[in-house]
Amino acid sequence: MKILVCIKQVPDMESKFKVNAAGNWFDETDLAWRMNEYDEYAVEQAVQLKEQNPDAELTVLCIGPERVKETMKKALAMGCDRGYHIADNDSHLKDPFAIASLIAGYAKDQSFDLIFTGMQSQDRGSAQVGVLVAEILGIPSLTTLVEFSYADGTINAKRELEGGTKAKVSCATPALVTCQLGLNTPRYPTLPNIMKAKKKELLSVPVEELNPPALLIETLQVAPPEKKGGGLILEGDPAELADQLIKILKEKTTALA
Amino acid sequence: MKILLVAEYRDGQLLGTSSELINFATSMGAESAMFLVGSENKLPSYNGRIYLADSGQAGEFNPDGHKQLLLEVIAKEQPQMVVLPHSSYGWDLAPRVALALKAAQISEVVEVRDGHLVVPACNAKLRRQLKPVTDNCVVTLQGGAFTPSEEPSGTPEVIKVEATAAGAVQFHGYEEAAATGVDLSKADIIVSAGRGIGKPENLEIIENLAKALKGEYGASRPVVDAEWADQSRQVGTTGQTVSPKLYVACGISGAIQHLAGMKKSEFVLAINTDKDAPIGEIADVLAVADLKQLVPILTEKLNAL
Amino acid sequence: MEYTREIYWNIGHDWTVLLPMYLLSFAAVAVVVNEFIHRVRVYKQGQPLNRIDNLPLRVRGMLRDIFLQSQVIRVRAPGSAHALFFWGFVLLAIGTTLIFIQADLTDPLFDLRFLTGPFYLMFSLVLDIAGVVAILMLLGLLVRRTIVRPAGLENKLDDAVMHTLLLVILVSGFVIEGARMAVTEIGTPLAAWSPVGLLAAKLMSGLEESALRGLHSNLWWFHLFLVVAFIAIIPFTKLRHILTTSTNYLFADLGPKGLLPTIDMEDEEAESFGAAKISELSWKDIFDADACTSCKRCQDRCPAWATDKPLSPMKLVQQIGDVAFHNPQAGLPETLGKDVLWACTTCRACQEICPAGIEHVNKIIEVRRNLVLMEGEFPGEEVMTAMENTEVNGNPLGLAYASRGDWAAGLPVSVLGENSDVDILYFVGCYASFDKRNQAIAKAFITLCNAAGIRIGILGKEEKCCGEPMRKMGNEYLYQMLATENIEQIRSYGIAQIVTTCPHCFNTLSKDYRDLGLEVEVSHYTEYLAALVEKGQLKIAPQSFECTYHDSCYLGRYNNIYQAPRDLLHAAGAQLTEMDKHASESFCCSAGGGRILADENIGSRISEKRAHMAAATGAPTLISNCPFCLTMFEDGIKGAELDNRLKPQDLAEILVERIADH
Repeated sequence: MKILVCIKQVPDMESKFKVNAAGNWFDETDLAWRMNEYDEYAVEQAVQLKEQNPDAELTVLCIGPERVKETMKKALAMGCDRGYHIADNDSHLKDPFAIASLIAGYAKDQSFDLIFTGMQSQDRGSAQVGVLVAEILGIPSLTTLVEFSYADGTINAKRELEGGTKAKVSCATPALVTCQLGLNTPRYPTLPNIMKAKKKELLSVPVEELNPPALLIETLQVAPPEKKGGGLILEGDPAELADQLIKILKEKTTALA
Repeated sequence: MKILLVAEYRDGQLLGTSSELINFATSMGAESAMFLVGSENKLPSYNGRIYLADSGQAGEFNPDGHKQLLLEVIAKEQPQMVVLPHSSYGWDLAPRVALALKAAQISEVVEVRDGHLVVPACNAKLRRQLKPVTDNCVVTLQGGAFTPSEEPSGTPEVIKVEATAAGAVQFHGYEEAAATGVDLSKADIIVSAGRGIGKPENLEIIENLAKALKGEYGASRPVVDAEWADQSRQVGTTGQTVSPKLYVACGISGAIQHLAGMKKSEFVLAINTDKDAPIGEIADVLAVADLKQLVPILTEKLNAL
Repeated sequence: MEYTREIYWNIGHDWTVLLPMYLLSFAAVAVVVNEFIHRVRVYKQGQPLNRIDNLPLRVRGMLRDIFLQSQVIRVRAPGSAHALFFWGFVLLAIGTTLIFIQADLTDPLFDLRFLTGPFYLMFSLVLDIAGVVAILMLLGLLVRRTIVRPAGLENKLDDAVMHTLLLVILVSGFVIEGARMAVTEIGTPLAAWSPVGLLAAKLMSGLEESALRGLHSNLWWFHLFLVVAFIAIIPFTKLRHILTTSTNYLFADLGPKGLLPTIDMEDEEAESFGAAKISELSWKDIFDADACTSCKRCQDRCPAWATDKPLSPMKLVQQIGDVAFHNPQAGLPETLGKDVLWACTTCRACQEICPAGIEHVNKIIEVRRNLVLMEGEFPGEEVMTAMENTEVNGNPLGLAYASRGDWAAGLPVSVLGENSDVDILYFVGCYASFDKRNQAIAKAFITLCNAAGIRIGILGKEEKCCGEPMRKMGNEYLYQMLATENIEQIRSYGIAQIVTTCPHCFNTLSKDYRDLGLEVEVSHYTEYLAALVEKGQLKIAPQSFECTYHDSCYLGRYNNIYQAPRDLLHAAGAQLTEMDKHASESFCCSAGGGRILADENIGSRISEKRAHMAAATGAPTLISNCPFCLTMFEDGIKGAELDNRLKPQDLAEILVERIADH
């Protein structure tokens, strides 16, 4: 059995974000990097599947500059067998289709039985890449999973819908699944596994060798959102305050939708 | 410009997002048509054509089937833009359609500015203005971002589309959330009670506000410690870490463990008698007032809306 | 007349007496030696650890602790009873030895008898008093054990055997003496020098001489058998402590207090970390179990035990002994219980009071290390999240690392990256950096230093968590990552003096970081400011106020800093009312040992219990000097619903309000 898990390195969402000089993404100064949270669920589920099928071979794939190798090492420490790094200093300028094409380009000759991805990334949140990879490869995909099981070539899973409802779904492998918050609790790598991870194969391929497709989306501008009313202090009569608050909630939030 | 709206239907019900789709089309000043896998008995109020596939035939969840049907409708209507809700349905279907159309997909649009689509990034700390390079594009809309001020009206013209249930994915029904325990980490709106509520009986006014906002209520650690609220309601590093769209902190001064547990909230409204309470540091709005007075009035007014 | 007596009176001194007596004695000693050879083998299952370095110091300490009973008498009533009993018993043992030396060595070999004259009189008197004191103390302890029965004191078969045996040996000794005196000494001036013996003799004076002689001879042999039995059962019963506890004083941890062994992360050969099996603890950890006397002083002081958590330091140590002796393959985390292991706040109250020199805390941390490093287990998901937050942002709260220095904007502080010409580096710590409540303390410290003309630098966003909570939770890997980065930063600026406002940072930087190469002098702000006040460089204008003071574990027990904060309080004009549990007996706030990161979901809240203790003093203000304590008290006082009468404050906040004109 061959398994692929695709991960992304993202800045910690607590970071202070500033727009970069080109005005097309954030400036990287002062950012702390980590594995995209949804991809952690993907890695955990892939590792659990590998543990269930000891002969399985689990590859982790990541696209990005040199620094993403740190995040790949975490995936290796969690239990992936080898890493495939697409070295791309401009990965932040690529759109979901370009990213998905690169992944599919790698996966198409590898005959993976199962591909795991996060359901979206924390920084871009497009929720496209996983499904696009599956569609390019022409394999079924199950999205936003909060439960997963695999036996004899069949995946049984639950998708999370809105309002706490889940949909029970299944499909045959080869297939791709995208992982949602709540699927599992990602493990904390043990020290021996961290040590072992340092010696695992981590192949790095320059993106230029892989013919990335032309972009479908142009970024016109990146900017911080206008102040939501930041730090506004309201005082006064409770009834008036209540009216003011309702007005603010209507204008600045989606709570009263 | 012509837009095809893809409405969402689940468990025998049309979902409310359809009115947001219609409002989006209106705000774009575009001609629109709608596609729905659902039922004749549950149609949205809409002045336009609805291509309706019967969910009994097509299946409520059938990615391949829905994609095929939608592509057929697109072939007929030739829209420049296909719009879906940014929901579990849209996440699943939109990229399939986009790839088939070789079109760009722009996800989670929150605003249209100067004719360009604006999407959030990095936990709403940044916004990106995007432009599809392709002739056509697929768009998903953030829930609540295009809520109309008035519900749309009108009766749609229904065009039935024949469907088959074939597809690689099998759907085996729904499972409702268990009633016990609260998962605040997924709540969109949380109203939390701090020690400032004074006594356990006052938790009710917090619960009422939560109900009025259709959210969940939470609590700070001292309130849980005093056993005024259940442990599962505790927000903070030693309770649940939450990231709602709206967080209302009532009588919470803002101990660091609490702040660390709710700092990912998109909008924070704090109600506190102390203007200098630490919660003010991260609150978008701080109403300086006694929650015992303000919250019941606010609840009443919200219920009256 | 010559003051002396006939040794072996009525018994005889030929081979029919000596042979059985010496055979029995040798047999008893052989049993003891044999059993201890076995026990040493059990101890040796543990890892090597050098506890015989610095031997002269160790021997001095051991002799002091044994003969002055200095560890035992720290708990006054039962401790004094034990000490008096011990001294009585030692004198009786010395007396018996002197008799043996004269009767079987110096007299037959050199015709030398020293138990004569005034020395003999003193000898008789001292032994009589020693015997009666020993009996009285033993009775007192017996009453405590059986009638008073303090909570937690367990009575086992061991205790019954030990008390009965000792009592019968002591009483029978006096009866033997009485019988001899009734025949030989009544009416002589000699009798007055054995007052207790004389009393016994008078009680038996109605008996015929033949009856007295019969009684004497039978009892003498009976007494001998009991003493032989006493010796023989030492290794098998709690009497073992006579040898093991004494020896444990020799093996004492010479400090620095609370230092953990630093794991070598570069060791490629290492396959396991921490302790999952008894063989992964040290031999001293097993020996400790043998030195335990079940006095439960540790349990009495354990904040976890006091709030209905499953941890008893005493039981934990004894369970480790059980595993070592009876089930050496058992898994320690399961046997000891994970809830037990995670409950420890590493407050050190157990270790500080232990009269047997047992080291509880590091045993717990060694097993935690195994859980974290080998199994990736934590007490709860919230702790794992805190660890991950720290890996990414260098603080357990998960706040942006780049904003770590934001609190100091506009204050007279240099960020070392911009200007490293400073007098001290203020190592701020996570809570003072990110928590608004604790930022007030950081700002107060800055103001105080500024008033004293001290130029302060901070690392700002280059500072990371010191790693203390992670290390105490068992995450040595993360700790070393953080420590290495901090040390590198500190070194790069050539700093000569570091001051912290957090006792946890202080303890870690001043002790733990030494192992990783940090040599810079580190102070906690209380000592640092106290010195400035002493020198007159910082002037504080006293204003009277009432308060009580909480000794944080890591300032107090870990670093013996009790006086400096009190001096500062005095300088500020405090009317200090001490809590019952203060100084080395202080009761933890609940946040030590990495528990600051964890939910406290078993039993009641430690911080609330402490808040009640503080409120009981009647003082309106609870002063502490640790960000963890302050955070816990802010919550604990509210939780205990004492917020209308008790307010927690940091010492720095008191001082900053009282800066005098300079």
